[in-house]
Amino acid sequence: MYFCPIRNQYLHPPSQPTVTNSHERPSPPLEQLSPVRASSTRVPHNIVIVPQSHSSDDALSKIEALFETIVDAISVGSPITIPYRRSTNAQVFDPTASASNPRDGRHMDSVRFPGRNPQELRRFEALFRIIEISHEALLSGTLVTKRNIYYQNMELFRSQSVVDEMVDNLAFTLGVGRNDLNIVATAKGLVAGQVELIMRGGSKINCAESSDSATFRTLSASRYYTVSRAGSGILVTVRLCDLFYSNNADNYTQGKGYPDLATRKFLATIHSVRPRLLMFALVDFDPHGISVLRTYQYSSQRLDHEERTKVFGLRWLGIRSSDVLSNTVMTQDCSANSQGSQSSQDLSSQESIAYSVDGECIVRQRPRSRRTKSHPSDYTAPLNERDREKAVSVLRDICGTTRLDATEREHKLELQRMLMLNIKAEIQAVDDFGDITNWLDERLLEHSRDVNSH
Amino acid sequence: MSKQYLTLHTVDQAHPAEIFSLAPTPNALISASGSSHLLIHSTTTSPTFPLTQSLSNAHRLGCHHITTARGGPGNTFVSVGFGGDTKVWHRNPETDQWALYWTLPTPDNKKEKGDVWAVALSADEGYLAATTSDGRIHVWDVLRKAKIQTYETGAGAGGGGGQGSVGTGSFAMAVDLSRDGKFTASGHENGGVYVFNNDAGRMVYSLSGLAKPIRAVAFSPGCKRLAAAGNAGIIAIYDMQHGEHVANLSATGTRPAWITSIDWNDTGEYLLSGSLHGKVRVWDVARGVCVATHSETESALWCVRWLPKSEKTLAPGMGKGEMFVAAGANRSLTFYREATGS
Repeated sequence: MYFCPIRNQYLHPPSQPTVTNSHERPSPPLEQLSPVRASSTRVPHNIVIVPQSHSSDDALSKIEALFETIVDAISVGSPITIPYRRSTNAQVFDPTASASNPRDGRHMDSVRFPGRNPQELRRFEALFRIIEISHEALLSGTLVTKRNIYYQNMELFRSQSVVDEMVDNLAFTLGVGRNDLNIVATAKGLVAGQVELIMRGGSKINCAESSDSATFRTLSASRYYTVSRAGSGILVTVRLCDLFYSNNADNYTQGKGYPDLATRKFLATIHSVRPRLLMFALVDFDPHGISVLRTYQYSSQRLDHEERTKVFGLRWLGIRSSDVLSNTVMTQDCSANSQGSQSSQDLSSQESIAYSVDGECIVRQRPRSRRTKSHPSDYTAPLNERDREKAVSVLRDICGTTRLDATEREHKLELQRMLMLNIKAEIQAVDDFGDITNWLDERLLEHSRDVNSH
Repeated sequence: MSKQYLTLHTVDQAHPAEIFSLAPTPNALISASGSSHLLIHSTTTSPTFPLTQSLSNAHRLGCHHITTARGGPGNTFVSVGFGGDTKVWHRNPETDQWALYWTLPTPDNKKEKGDVWAVALSADEGYLAATTSDGRIHVWDVLRKAKIQTYETGAGAGGGGGQGSVGTGSFAMAVDLSRDGKFTASGHENGGVYVFNNDAGRMVYSLSGLAKPIRAVAFSPGCKRLAAAGNAGIIAIYDMQHGEHVANLSATGTRPAWITSIDWNDTGEYLLSGSLHGKVRVWDVARGVCVATHSETESALWCVRWLPKSEKTLAPGMGKGEMFVAAGANRSLTFYREATGS
């Protein structure tokens, strides 16, 4: 029906998320999904609890205690004081710092009302607004993104970084994690499917019901994840962040469908709790598509230290050069390479899709039909100079490895073909006048058969 | 009158990756692929075309273009890797072994891109033409190891060696040098075909007609004709005396596949073409018709080449008919020979 954002919260250790794969019951009753129920003796086999390291403090009670002191202050007419510690480098609101705490590198401070100067007045208002939003979110069990907070009052906050920093400092001051405030980073990943996530704090996300404006809206709107002939599954898409895109022209590549840490951790977590769940990625046939794919599979160098970010089991659904060129050309040699009968596919440069289906699902009838697009030039575009440079840099990255595995050899081959042909294509190249479901069905079934036969 | 060619031999899985380029010398065939090494097979000693040398770790990212001098002595070839690394190799005539002679320098100036795509060697093996993704053609003096000319094809180009329009041209996907040393021709992504006069150092013809990406250009051995082909799926023939478009070679029927490679035979009577659909065709240029079609593979062909005519037969009773070779996505080298006695 819709996509819902992946909540960072789910992915951080203090939370208590459970993953419920409810593919057998399209509309699972909510009570079966509560953490209490999940930990009782009657745990349905399809509820998986992600292990947690420790539980979080109660942010709600701390915020309410803070409100109480404020009310007390108002009732006696004394100035209102909100404790606030901030990092030494952060001088966004008030450059005059008071006592510092050398141990954690942050200043002990407070924000008072009425303020000592106009800056403090604004700071008070901003901080109070964030606390209020967080309180509301905690009460209702919903989540708020940092970007959302910023857009609540752009004039007050002035910039996104002010919000980001204040939220972090507030969490620090209260001694809780940012996620405990039910405030999360702006989501890039969207998930839709027969899965329900239960967050720390008890909020639930039913990925078959939640909503967000999604790329590949048609796929989610048609509930592809339930009607696919390959079985029901979970659809995760990564969309481009517009603001980031326009503000950082130099780094534009970062936004092109590259999965953020939360998305990768989400997939890696699902993979670790449900290893039999097959995972597929659909990316554009262009250098960024392959780079996106490699980010899922091998993580990024910058985040090498992060655990559980590599989705090793992720299969490349496409699109590949063979999907683009025609239905006959190159298929022969595709089967000659180690990847077997996988064929290519493409994705829009702004999107990537990961799709997982239950490995146990019964493969249904082989779908009919093929599209009849006749010529590659009908739906490809030439590579530009930057594309070619990017392709070479990804190739370099691959060839830097001493021994290539089969997956990397395939990446290399497709990049070389891309350069030779000097073409790229988006996922839309394989759809049927906007409907990609037939194509997806075929490919997913091919892969399922592949796996089952081994 | 159709010509008949027979499959003579296939070197199966000659390379571990797709074969992207072939270059013949009078006695050998050099091949390059997506893997890092180059292979040299003898073409005059045995009908099994035995491997005589392997140049390992030549191009770490794989090699997409190699070239020899057509009609030349066969002592030099040039290879270009996917990383843009360009290497000149020399043969020791006594040992018949190849060794690296020179690696083209990458420019110090960051604005001037160091990338190289297609390459061509002059018949005397003295000059190398190399194209760039921004539409320029650099000409190098191989023996002096110096760049002697840069042709621009971007906006305002045409004056030859021009400044001010650097890097505004369309990706130059193909290049050739005429055997008499007079012309350089380039084929571009935007469908443009340009011919430069090497003596004057300027563009003489801007040839239109195909409008789609050009993947191969080739001067006839007599230097009177230029053939160009690519995504349009047809071969355009231009006259070099006046720059006229004199003929198109095209197969009838279905929408033609992208042509990846073309080559003139030694007499200039026939053109060989290879396509993404795996078809090799031989064209009678004078009559403008396809006289032979081979489709041993359905996978893409990246390169097709005639082998230079040899004085002696490859094996007893084989005759001295012309041979050609095709290679591509199936990683094998397939050799063909003209059927004799017909």
